Amino acid sequence: MKRLLLATLLALLAAPAVLFAALVAPAGAEQLVSQVSSEEVAITSSFAGQTLTIFGSIEPEAGSKQKFVEGPYHVVITVTGPLQKRVARKMTNQFGIWINTQQAVFEEFPSFYQVLSDSKLDTITNPVTLAEDSIPLDSIGIGKTSAPYPQSELFRGELVKLMQRKGQFKLNEQGVIFRSDTFYFAQVALPSDAPVGSYIAHTYLFKGGAVVAEKSNGFSVRKIGFERFLGLASHQQPLLYGLVCVMLALFTGWLGGVVFRR
Amino acid sequence: MQVYLPIAELSMNLFFLVGIGGAVGFLSGLFGVGGGFLLTPLLIFSGVPSSVAVASVTGQVVAASTSGALSYYRRGQIDLHMAIYLVLSSVLGSFVGVWIFGLLRAAGQLDLFISLGFLILLGFVGTLMMTEAVRSILKRRAGIVVREKLPNQHNWFHGLPWRVRFKKSRLYISVVPVLLLGFCIGIVGALLGIGGGFILVPALVYLLRVPGNMVIGTSLLQVVAMMAATTILHAVTSQSVDILLAFCLMVGGTVGAQFGASAGKYLRGEQLRALLALLVLAVAIRFGISLVIPPSNAFSMAVLGAGGAI
Repeated sequence: MKRLLLATLLALLAAPAVLFAALVAPAGAEQLVSQVSSEEVAITSSFAGQTLTIFGSIEPEAGSKQKFVEGPYHVVITVTGPLQKRVARKMTNQFGIWINTQQAVFEEFPSFYQVLSDSKLDTITNPVTLAEDSIPLDSIGIGKTSAPYPQSELFRGELVKLMQRKGQFKLNEQGVIFRSDTFYFAQVALPSDAPVGSYIAHTYLFKGGAVVAEKSNGFSVRKIGFERFLGLASHQQPLLYGLVCVMLALFTGWLGGVVFRR
Repeated sequence: MQVYLPIAELSMNLFFLVGIGGAVGFLSGLFGVGGGFLLTPLLIFSGVPSSVAVASVTGQVVAASTSGALSYYRRGQIDLHMAIYLVLSSVLGSFVGVWIFGLLRAAGQLDLFISLGFLILLGFVGTLMMTEAVRSILKRRAGIVVREKLPNQHNWFHGLPWRVRFKKSRLYISVVPVLLLGFCIGIVGALLGIGGGFILVPALVYLLRVPGNMVIGTSLLQVVAMMAATTILHAVTSQSVDILLAFCLMVGGTVGAQFGASAGKYLRGEQLRALLALLVLAVAIRFGISLVIPPSNAFSMAVLGAGGAI
């Protein structure tokens, strides 16, 4: 009798726990395993841009008993470059000539931003979800400004357009390619004037219009060798750097005169 | 062949850089000017950030003027005494110029100021040179013997206090106009990335009445010294001197200048001056048009704060 009571009590206690476990681990909890083809992009004297590959696979979450995951899945990858303080200016005609008269300063504005996805963003999910994760190029979350509201959005939009024209901002809705149901890869082309610094590739996994998993991978673009040496010297020893420039100029000029003297 | 410019932070074609250096060097050898007034706009139009273009061209101008200054020095055609006054005051001027450069860049009016500066300066100098050259060509056609102005004709400002004797130039004049001239050229040179040779030469000839054989050498020496100081100042204050960019331009420029100098022997002085005036006016008009016509995009952007990371 006593044993029966204990068993009933245990069963009563265990039942909600089992139910709860079933709720938090729904069929198909997934995680992303991803990698960037190189974690360091080296800028050398012949640097003319480089293409990076971001690849990964969708797997069942670690610890779950699930053997496989079920789609259909959509992958959106954002690649964000180092943040800068950037200003957008507007010219107006004053007394017949065009002058910069209005401006908006954006703190922490990305110097590089690319969005890659496997299909059109508006077919993957609704605009609200996209905006919550600040995925679109002209998201409000990109760059903070002290400019007043309607003006700030005008300048943000124009700044994004300028960055797109410069090739640093890009939306590529065919950038992510699925090789199988769960294996994907994407190629990011860094231009020759890619800003130097650390980058973050953020992968969003969408299922049924909602984000079910996220993963961040970092990589960095840096000058190496002679280019790094020059960049460092110009900042750390500016006086010496300037003197060397002048010596080089005087020497080149003198040499030119000597070589060509007839 | 692409070469990565570490300060401008972009790749450019090596042959393009040496090529424009050479082309501008040819013109500068032909006309005896530094060529900065052509090179800076060319670089800006080809995508180099304007602050990097201005600062790097100062380095190139040093190289382009050195070989010329040396050969004039060997021939004894430099008035060192006057050059010292000019150099000292122009270095002071370039301090002021680099300071204004920083202020304008922060206020977002640098590009406007560069355009306006080139327009006014080049338009003014170009018009003067053009009228003078056309007049002397017409006189020569008419068979009138052109007599050079006598060096001892004095203006009122020659008699200001602190008179100094410049032996080589055979002048006994006040240093005030000399110092003032150097100071103004220092400011303009630092702001626009130009040596100021094309302002200094006419100023020495028509204002100070320096004899013709001393003018070019003295002006070249002053350009070398002033632009050397400006290069260092830009390197220290804005870290925007790109040594690789400057070097590519220097190599092209020094070679081009030699060919330009030998080509110059086949043209007469006033024809040369008329051609230079045409060139100067063309650049001025290009800047004038960019100020007046509506821009294709009213919006522009810039990075604030220190230059790129390492």
